Order: sequence, then structure tokens, then C-alpha cells
Amino acid sequence: MSDDLIRFDRVSKFYGDVLGVNKVDLRIPPGITSLVGPNGSGKTTLMNLMAGLIHPGSGTVSVRGISPFAPEQLMRILGYATQYDAAPRGLTGFDFVLSGLLLHGFPRPDAVRRATHAIETVALTSAARRKIAAYSKGMRQRIRLAQAIAHDPAVLVLDEPLNGLDPVVRAETIALFRDYAARGRHVILSSHVLQEVDVFSDQVILIANGMVVAEGAIRSVREEIHEHPSQYLLRCAEPARAAALLFTHAGILEARIDPGGAGLLVITRQREAFALAVQRLAVDGLAIDGLEPLDENVDALYEYLIGGGK
Amino acid sequence: MNQIWIIARLEIRRAFFSRRALWVYLLALFPAALFLGRAASVHYDRREYAAKPATPAAILDRLPAGTTDKDALAAAGPPIRDRQWRRGEVEHRSLHYFDGYNRVWLQFENGALKTTRRLPLHSFEQDTRIYAGVFQYFYLRLAIFFGCLGIFLNLFRGEMIDKSLHYWFLAPVRRETLVLGKYCAGLIAAAVIFGGGALLSFAALLSYQTSADLETYLQTDALAHGLWYLLAAVLGCAGYGSVFLAAGLVLRNPIIPALVMLLWESINGFLPELLQKLSVLHYLQSLCPVPAPLDPSAPPLARMILSPAAPASAWTALPGLLAVTALVLYLATRAARRLEINYGGE
Amino acid sequence: MAVFKRGYERYTGPRTGALARFLVVPRFAWPKLLGERFVVVLLIVSLFWPLLCAGFVYLSNHASLLPGLAEAGDAVQKLLRIDGAFFATFMNVQSTFAIILAAIAGPGLIAPDLANNALPLYFARPLSLASYIGARLLVLFGLLATVTLLPGLFVFGMQASLGGSAWLAAHWTLGQGMLLGFLLYILLVSLVALTLSAYVKWRVVAGALVLGFFFVLGGAAQIINQVFRVEWGSLLSPSYILYTIWCALLGVETPADAPDAGECLAALVVLLAALLAILLRKLRPVEVVS
Ligand SMILES: Nc1ncnc2c1ncn2[C@@H]1O[C@H](COP(=O)(O)OP(=O)(O)OP(=O)(O)O)[C@@H](O)[C@H]1O
Ligand SMILES: [Mg+2]
Repeated sequence: MSDDLIRFDRVSKFYGDVLGVNKVDLRIPPGITSLVGPNGSGKTTLMNLMAGLIHPGSGTVSVRGISPFAPEQLMRILGYATQYDAAPRGLTGFDFVLSGLLLHGFPRPDAVRRATHAIETVALTSAARRKIAAYSKGMRQRIRLAQAIAHDPAVLVLDEPLNGLDPVVRAETIALFRDYAARGRHVILSSHVLQEVDVFSDQVILIANGMVVAEGAIRSVREEIHEHPSQYLLRCAEPARAAALLFTHAGILEARIDPGGAGLLVITRQREAFALAVQRLAVDGLAIDGLEPLDENVDALYEYLIGGGK
Repeated sequence: MNQIWIIARLEIRRAFFSRRALWVYLLALFPAALFLGRAASVHYDRREYAAKPATPAAILDRLPAGTTDKDALAAAGPPIRDRQWRRGEVEHRSLHYFDGYNRVWLQFENGALKTTRRLPLHSFEQDTRIYAGVFQYFYLRLAIFFGCLGIFLNLFRGEMIDKSLHYWFLAPVRRETLVLGKYCAGLIAAAVIFGGGALLSFAALLSYQTSADLETYLQTDALAHGLWYLLAAVLGCAGYGSVFLAAGLVLRNPIIPALVMLLWESINGFLPELLQKLSVLHYLQSLCPVPAPLDPSAPPLARMILSPAAPASAWTALPGLLAVTALVLYLATRAARRLEINYGGE
Repeated sequence: MAVFKRGYERYTGPRTGALARFLVVPRFAWPKLLGERFVVVLLIVSLFWPLLCAGFVYLSNHASLLPGLAEAGDAVQKLLRIDGAFFATFMNVQSTFAIILAAIAGPGLIAPDLANNALPLYFARPLSLASYIGARLLVLFGLLATVTLLPGLFVFGMQASLGGSAWLAAHWTLGQGMLLGFLLYILLVSLVALTLSAYVKWRVVAGALVLGFFFVLGGAAQIINQVFRVEWGSLLSPSYILYTIWCALLGVETPADAPDAGECLAALVVLLAALLAILLRKLRPVEVVS
């Protein structure tokens, strides 16, 4: 079956009682794809599932038509730089990359050539003969990148590859990603910050709490998030009057009087405008007891991803 | 096949030269050091006693129990050493003689001869039996057991603790191949270290025998015995290794199965025939060329732990052991297929 | 008010006493240990032998009930007597459980603290190194006492109540010997467990090492004796050292040419001192600023 997608079909993974990812459906085409989400949202879990380091509790994963249960085929086309900041004991950077290539079955001279080339690519040649244990954080990050690209994989999976890199290396690394993508390969990387990756990504996948919140080309995701309607509960003594006043002010989609009598339920797309309107209500003399966002998650994510970088 | 070898080559270096392997060498070489020490002391004794007066064995043997120390002194002449001490109500005295071949201690309690202890200055026959004991009780039960525990647990569980196991999983090799490759590496390391240790002790043992004893032994059994010991050591590593490898793959805390196995191997001699066949030790002991003596003065618990299983013939022991090993390895590969990277613990 | 404007103010409220703070460690460690399945299983299994011994005590005090036993020979009578040898055997078997329990439960106490750099957290609180070690020892003491000391005293108490005050008056040294013997034993085993786990820092390895310590040293002692035809090799075996000390405490004869109780006691002291020295070295609380 010729298939150049990475597919997740209703994949769930629980660590005991803890949710890793939940019912993820994804089709990832070649190109640069960024997984973006806050800490603990499930980025690493998705990547580990792709590489077969962990297995889904339910659902199936396939990478260009290959199941992660067949590492002998999958790893020929997949290179993965994990976020685990550990290397085998006592190896030098060069030996580390070389041993990976030997495991791929390259004959020794060929492996040495490739290892040298990969280390050159990440600009570590001068440190190649030193023990990894003595590397700085950024150097360790780069040597792991070198090991992931050394066998020239068609699918490159990188967990937080830009962390701890200086601007020069960062630019070079991004150029490398672009080069890979231009050759019709997959480059999948993860990040906490949308701004960091949105310039060069063809596609972003936003994850929160183990679920895919939004996916697609960067522009559409931005809009999707931006226009994702938010729900608020406005606690006040006269909800009916507040509703009437609010509709004159701001782009409210819906306002309902809470049947429980707590106040007014408001759904809006324009947070800033809505916030200003509420302020004006107070100025107008309406007694407001409080304002609570009801769907914390998307709101928090919004703040986190987009609001934070303003 | 080729891949297994590549994996083993990469792994062997770690098994042999890491600092953690140091204590494994210590375990393996300890008896060799003892036998070398023994060689030195026999050498020294021979020179020492060559200069000592020899009392004819006939005189010493003729002293019946109950003889007074004065009579004994009168009959046998001045001793090499005379030691007296008190313990509770009893006055002890020990007279030390040499009859040209044996060292003899006459032990008196309250002035009456109680026992005559006789130790040959050195006896080839006794030494080979002691070697058999050292091999079975120390090497097979303790050194190889705990050594393999360390080496083979390190292969998977150790890398899990080090957070470096995923590098192996990211290589294009089947998990089965990975397990076998690592197993081979562990086996080669363990076999070289412990087989070498056992052979070295064996050589040290032979180094201080008198030339006549040595010549007959070398012409008859020496080669065969050495080979059997080597084989038993290597198979011991193979058997225990497979079990610990599997335990390290399946369980978070492999100490518990190790403990269970230690107890299992200990009480195995008391179990019904069928269950005995499931013990690694059972087969190994059947391979040893010289049966080991049981120390009668050992405390009861130790005796229970040391009681040997009824031997199987070498030709059932070999395939039996290999079959157990293969079965356990098969289960280990099955477990490896489902193994996940989880660096959460510890 | 912003946090930085408040300035630093030392806590001046009431504090619990030193003893209560000391007990915090075991108070959290015990329930955790008892939550481990294998520890519980082992605790239960280790009760069988004391129950067997208690049954034996009952039997020996009611020998007349069994037809035929009363007129049985001297040998049987001697076998049935509850004396030092009986308690020595009891302690010898029961102590094996203590080793196993220490191998399983002990490493979990210190090794994770070191592996995860948690020591500074302890020493950032009003807890000194000595009380940290003491508290850890107390955890093991409680655990090991339940498999050694408590059943031992139970068997002794049962014999005392069945045998009457005459037996007690004649044999109270047995109880005292057992108490002392077990205390020494618990001290040794828990110190071994703590030291080895502080030494290697990995739980799993430390467990294996605790087992290995007792079994391999025992084996090494044996082969030294065998190879050199001597008896002093036994001084290397921790189990043997303690067994000899117990025998002396209980008034049981040991082989004349084997190392005697005095030598064994000296070896024990050396061993304990070495263990403690290693432990203190490994637990150096670097982060404490003096
Ligand atoms: N080995 C594990 N055992 C238990 N829970 C785990 C394990 N690994 C991850 N989790 C949980 O799964 C969830 C997702 O974790 P994951 O590592 O995928 O997050 P992430 O998005 O990579 O976070 P980060 O940005 O911090 O790397 C988290 O709640 C985490 O606590
Ligand atoms: Mg992550």
C-alpha cells in the first residue's frame, strides 16, 4: 500500500489512570508539522506512539503505511530525537551517532561517512570526540538531532528540537527542516509556543489535555482559535437588564439567563470587546458581582498561545 | 543473525568495561585468589615442616582416647606446639605433632585425650574435593547467580533506569533480535568472566600439587574435569542469564523473582522429581565431574540450603538446561514486543 | 501587597517537639511499606515458623497428654525440652525472613532520596543527619521487630506462662538473651540495608546487594575455611557472627575450635563501624550551609 500519510485512528493512551491522549484522529501529510500545546498536553505521548516506544491502549497508528509494531521496517524510514536528555554512558558524540548507524546495518566505512556528515550538519564536528556526558544542554540536543537524521529518514520526528539552541544554530536547524520538507518528507516537531514555529510550519496541531483542539494550516488555526466562541457567566442582580445593555455594546453571539438564577450566560467571539462592555456596564451603575469564564481550557490555551505573545 | 552480532558487539564493551562490572570480576576472581593464597601457604608449610622433627605415625595412632597428657608427652616426645586454654569449666590442651605426612593435633580436655585431629600437610584428593565444593557452592550458587543477576538485569532494566533504552528501540531491528543480541553480549561477558575465574582457580589448584600427583592427573582426568567445569559455568550463565533477562523485561522490581529463584533453587532438593527438573542448579550439578562434600558441621539451615538435588545424567542435563533456557528466552522475546519506554519509575 | 514588599519574616508560631518531628519519617514510611503487596505477604509468611514453634512449646508442656510419649526414651525427652538450643534454632530460621524483608523494604527508604536529590529537602527542615538516619533505622526496626522480636517474645511468653514461675526463674536469661540477640541482629540488618542502598542509590540493585551481602559473604567465609583448613574465615560471615553471639547469650555450646563469642563481637563491632562510616560518607548533606 503506497501511503504517505501518518495516520492516527481513534488512538487513546492511558498511563494507569492518567490520560496521555484521548481518541486522537489525525492525518498528517508530508511537510513541516508542529505539535503545539502546554506542558503535559500529550505531545511526547503522540510522538512516542508514532515511533512505537509506547503502544496505544486502543486505536491504531500507521506511519506511511507501516505499523509501529514492526520497528525493523519503521525505523528505516523514521528518525526520532526524543526529549529524554540522556545518552548511553561513556560514549563520545561520534561513537553515539556511529553506533546508531551500525545498528541500521550500514557497513562500517559507510557508517563513518554518514556519521561525520550528520555531525557536520549540526555543527558539532569540533566536539565530536568528546564524551556526551560532558556536553552542554544545547550540544546534547544537537547530537540527538544528528543521530535522528544520520540515516536520512523520510519521517523525522523531533521533540522540542529548538529548545536550548542559540539563534545561529536555530536558524540552520530550521533551514534543515525546510530542506527536508521540500523533498516531500515528514518533519514533525513539538513546541510550547506557537510563535516559535508558525513561521516555518506548513501545518500546526494544537493539543490540550490529551485532545487535538485544532489542526490545519497555520492561518486557519489562528482564526479558528481566535474565533472560537467563549462562554462566560456574568453574576449580577439584574441579568435581564444586563443582557439588554450588552447586546447594544458588543458582538455577543448569545446571552441566556441562567435557569439556576446565578446570572447571565454569555457566548462571545470578541473577548476584548466583551470585557470592555462589562466595564461599561459597571460604569453605568449595574451591580456586577463577578465574571467567570466557563470553558477554561480553550480560553487558557488561547491566552497561553496567542495572548501571551502579543 | 548479522544484526544480533552487531548488537552484541556494541553491548559487550559495556558489560566488560563499565565500572559497575568491577564487583563481578571480584566475585569471579575471589576463589582464584584464595587458591593462589593456598598455593603460597602450602609452599611455605612444606619448607616449614621439612625442618620439623617427625614423630612416627605409629606412636601417635596408638594413643587411645582418655590417655593423660603426661603419658602422651612421654610417649611422643616434645610437641611442635603446646597450647593450653580454659573455656568454662573445661581445661583444654592441644599438642601439635608432625608425622612426616600429616599434621596431628592431640586435643585434651581436663587432662584426658579427647580427639585426635589429623590434617595432611597437603592432599591432592582432598584438594580436588574442596575445589568441587567451591565450584558448586560458591560459583554456581552464589557468584554466577548474583553475577548474572547484575549483568543481565543491567541489559534492560538498567538501561531503563539510565533512560537510554529508547536508543535501542529506535534502531531498525526486531525486538526479538534485540533481546537475543543483548542476551549474547551478557552471555559472552558472564561466560568469559566466570568460566575464566573457575578455570583460573582450577589452574591455581593444580599449581601447588606435587609433581607425581599432577602428572597422573594431567594424564587422566584433568582435561576432562576442566572442560566439564567450564561447561557447567557457561551453562550456568546461560540459564540464570535467560531468567534474569526475562525478569528485567517483565517486572519493575526484579528482586522479588530473584529472591524467589534463590529460595526455589535452595529448597529444590526436597521437591518431587518433576519439579526438580525445573531448576537450573539441578542440571548444573549433574554436570560437575566430582561430587561436592556436604559439610556436616554447617548449621541446620545452611545444610538445608546446601543439600544437593539427585543428579541427572549429563546427557539429559545438557538438553534439559538448553530447553529451559530456550523456553525462557522465547517468553522474554514475547515480552519485549510489548515493552514500552516508561522512565517514570525509580 | 506585592510579595516583595512584605519582606522576609521568620516563622514564629508554635512548633512540634523534636521527638514528634523525628517520628514524622516513620509515620509516613510505615503505611507506605504496608501498602506494598509483597511486604504484607512476607509478613504473613514469616508468621508460620513462630506458630510452628508455639505449637511445639505447647506440645512439650503437654507431653504427658500424648500416649506413649511419657515413657519414651531420654532422647525424645531431650528433644522436647525448651532450652537455649530451641531458641537458637528459632532465631536462626526467623532471622532469614528479616534479611529478605530488609532486602525488599530497606532500599526503598534511602535510595530514592539520593537518586532524586531529596536529601536537601529533609535537611532544609529542622532535621539533623543523625535524626534522619535514626528515623530511617526506626522504620526498619519497626518492620523487622514484627518478624523477629515480637514473635520471639510471644513464644517465650507462652513457654513462661505454660512452664510456670519455676521455669521462668530458671530460664529468664533466655528471654533476655533473645531480646539482646535480636536487637543486635536488627541493628546489623537495617544498617546493611541503609548503607548499601545509600551506596548504590538504585532500589533494585540495592535489594540484590543486601541479599548478596549476607549470602555471598557467608559463602566466601565457608570457602576460606575450606581452602585454608581454618576456622577464622567464619568471622567474615555476618550470619555466623551473630549466630555465635546468640549461642553465647543463650548458653548454647558452639564448636570449640570455631571463633568464640568475643571474637565474633569484635568482628561485629568492626562491621557496624565500617557500615556506619560508609553511610555517613554517602549521606553527606552538601546543601547544608553552616
Ligand atoms: N510515563 C508516564 N507515566 C505516567 N504518566 C505519564 C507518563 N508520561 C506522560 N504521562 C502523563 O501523560 C500526559 C501527557 O504527557 P506528555 O509527556 O505527552 O506531555 P507533553 O505534551 O510532552 O509535555 P511537555 O511539554 O512538558 O513535554 C501528562 O499528564 C503526563 O503526566
Ligand atoms: Mg514532552
